[in-house]
Amino acid sequence: MSWLDICRETRFVLHKKSVALVLLVGFLLALFSVWTGSVEVAQQHATIERMQKADELDQAGVTKRYDEAGLLAYYTFHLTYAPPSSLAFAAAGVRDVYPWKHRIRMLAIEGQIHESDTQNPELAMVGRIDFTFVIAVIAPLLLILLLHDLRASERAAGRLDFLSITARTGYSLWPLRAVVVVLTLWLALVLPFIAGAIFNGVSAGLILSVIFIALVYILLWSLLCYWVARFSFSAPVLASFLIGFWLLTTFIIPAVANVAIDKGFHGPQGGDILMTQREAVNDAWDIPIETTMQAFVVSHPEWADKTQVKSLFEWKWYYAFQQLGDEAAKPLAQAYQQTAEDKYRAAGWVAWLSPATLLQRTLTDWAHTDAKAAWRYEQKVRDFHAQLRHFYYPLLFSDDKYHAEVLDARPVFKP
Amino acid sequence: MQELVISASNLCVNVKEKQILKNVSFSARKGEVMALLGGNGAGKSTTIKTFLGLMTPSSGSVSLAGVNVHQQPDVVRQKVAYLPESVMLYGHLTAIENIKYFLSLSGKQKTAGDIAEALQRVALQEASWNSALAGYSKGMRQKTAIALALLREAPILFLDEPTSGLDPVAIDEFNRLVKQLAAQGSTIFMVTHDVYGACHVADRIGLLHNGEIVGMFDAPEHGNIDSEVVHKAFTAGARNE
Repeated sequence: MSWLDICRETRFVLHKKSVALVLLVGFLLALFSVWTGSVEVAQQHATIERMQKADELDQAGVTKRYDEAGLLAYYTFHLTYAPPSSLAFAAAGVRDVYPWKHRIRMLAIEGQIHESDTQNPELAMVGRIDFTFVIAVIAPLLLILLLHDLRASERAAGRLDFLSITARTGYSLWPLRAVVVVLTLWLALVLPFIAGAIFNGVSAGLILSVIFIALVYILLWSLLCYWVARFSFSAPVLASFLIGFWLLTTFIIPAVANVAIDKGFHGPQGGDILMTQREAVNDAWDIPIETTMQAFVVSHPEWADKTQVKSLFEWKWYYAFQQLGDEAAKPLAQAYQQTAEDKYRAAGWVAWLSPATLLQRTLTDWAHTDAKAAWRYEQKVRDFHAQLRHFYYPLLFSDDKYHAEVLDARPVFKP
Repeated sequence: MQELVISASNLCVNVKEKQILKNVSFSARKGEVMALLGGNGAGKSTTIKTFLGLMTPSSGSVSLAGVNVHQQPDVVRQKVAYLPESVMLYGHLTAIENIKYFLSLSGKQKTAGDIAEALQRVALQEASWNSALAGYSKGMRQKTAIALALLREAPILFLDEPTSGLDPVAIDEFNRLVKQLAAQGSTIFMVTHDVYGACHVADRIGLLHNGEIVGMFDAPEHGNIDSEVVHKAFTAGARNE
C-alpha cells in the first residue's frame, strides 16, 4: 500500500456522488449539533448571569426591607447552579432532565430539590441531536450506508472480478477503500467538533480524547460493516442485517433495559419526598412547640438552652420544624438516591451491550452532564443549605441583636 | 522451445456437490493464443476464474509463468490482465479517468501520451475520451478495457467472450490486435463461443464439453477440426442448461 494508492482511492471515493452526499450529510449534522449545542450552552451561561444579577438585586431589596433575621432568611432567595462544562456543548446529557439551577430559601431543602421527579434519565438520552448523538447513533448509520455495499455494488455492476484481478495486492483495494471512506467520514464529523471545542474553550487533552474515542467507536462499526460486506449477499440483504444490528444495539436493547431496570429497582419518587417533608412541616403547626424543639435539639444540642418560645410564633421554632421536615424526608431522600445510583449502575452493565449507550455515558461523564454530575450538584445544594442554616441559626437562637453587617459573612453559593 | 506460460494439470473444480471441471489439462507457451470453445455451462468461465484465482481447484493445479496461482496470488496479479465478457468500468468516470484509476490500482504509471496512444491503437474515437463511460456503447467500453490491458503490459491476457456483442468491424480490429499482442510476446487465453473468430486468431483451440477437454487442435489443424465434435460440444452444453 503506497501513498499513490491512498491518493487514488481518496480521489475515487470523493468523486462518487453518493459518497460525497453521505459525507456532506454527516458534516452538516455534526455542524448543526455543534452549533445548537454551543447556542444551548451560551444560553445556559446567559441564564446564570441574568439570574445572578436578579439575585443580587433581589437580595439587596430584601436586606433593605427587613431588619429581622427570621424574615430575612424567609424572604431571601439564594441562587444555586451548575454551570455547563466547556464540553457540555457536545454532550448535553441529562441537564434538561435533572435541574441545574435552583433558587433556594432557608425552608426545608428536600422539597425544594425534589420539586420535579426523574426516572432513570441516563437511558432517556437517545433522540437529542447533540454531537454525542451524531457520533453514537447517526455515524454508524452513515457507515452502514457507505460500507454495506462495498463489494456488493461492484458485484451487482459486474465489476468485482475485474477489480480483484486488477488490484496489485489484496490490500490495495477493499481495505484501503474502506479506510479512506471511514477516515473521511470521521474527519467530516470531528472537524465541526474541533471548531466548536476551540470556540467553547475545551482543553486540548479533552479534544484529543473525544476525537480518539469517536475514532475507536467508528472503527468498531467499520470493522463490523467491512466484515458483513464480505458476504456474497445482495446489498439490500447486507444493509438489512447491519441496520437490524444497529437498531437492536442502539434502540431496542436500551429501551428494553430501561423498562427492565424500572421494573427491577423500586424506590420512592421525588413526589414522595416532597409530600413527606411538607406533611412533616405542616403537621408541626398542630403539635406542641416543645415537642418540635425537643426533637430539634437532638441534632443541634448546642441550642438546647435556647429553645424556649415565649410567643405564639418565633422564627427559631419555624426554622426548627423546617429542619425536622428535612429529617423526616431524609430516609426517603437517601433511598431515592440509592435507587437512582443502582439504576445508573445497572444501566452501566447494559451499556456493554449497546456501544451507542456506552459512548454516550463516557462522553457525558467527561462533559459532567450525566446523572452523577447532577447528583454532585444536588449534594452541593444541600451542603450550601447547611451553610445557610449554620449562618442563620446563631442569629435566630442567640439573644444578639441583628445587624445588617453580619450579612457580609452570609455564605454565597460557589459551583 | 518456448517456456510454458499457462498450465492446467488435472484440474478439477467442484461447486457445492457438482463437479464443474474434470481432470482438465492443457498448456500454452509464450506468445501463443489459446482459445477454449464450448457451449453454455461447459465450464469455460470456471476455467478462466480458476486461473484468475477467483475459484479454488478441488484437485490439480493451475500455474501462470511457473507460479502457482493459489499459492502466490499477488505475484500472479502482476502478470495478468483480464478482459471480462461484459466490461463494466465506472460509468461516472471518463475513459481516461477509468484507465488512470485501474492503472494505478494495478501499480502501473503511464503518461497522458501513453494513454492517448493506447486509445488510438484500439480505435476509440478521440471525441469520447473525456466523456463519462455511462454513455458508451458496449464496443466502446470494450475498447477502453483493451486499451487498459495494453497499457498494463501484462505478459498474460485472459479474455472472456471478448468479441461478444461487437460489430464485425470491431471484431476484425480486435482480432488484429490480439495477433499483434501475441507477436509481441504476450500469451493470450480466451474463452469464446465464436468458432470462426477462434480459428482466425488462436494458435491452439481446446473444446470443452461438460467440464472435460474433448479435443485439442493446433493452428495447422484448424481446417481439420472435427465439425461433429464441435457440434456435439455446443449442443450437449446447451442441453445441459
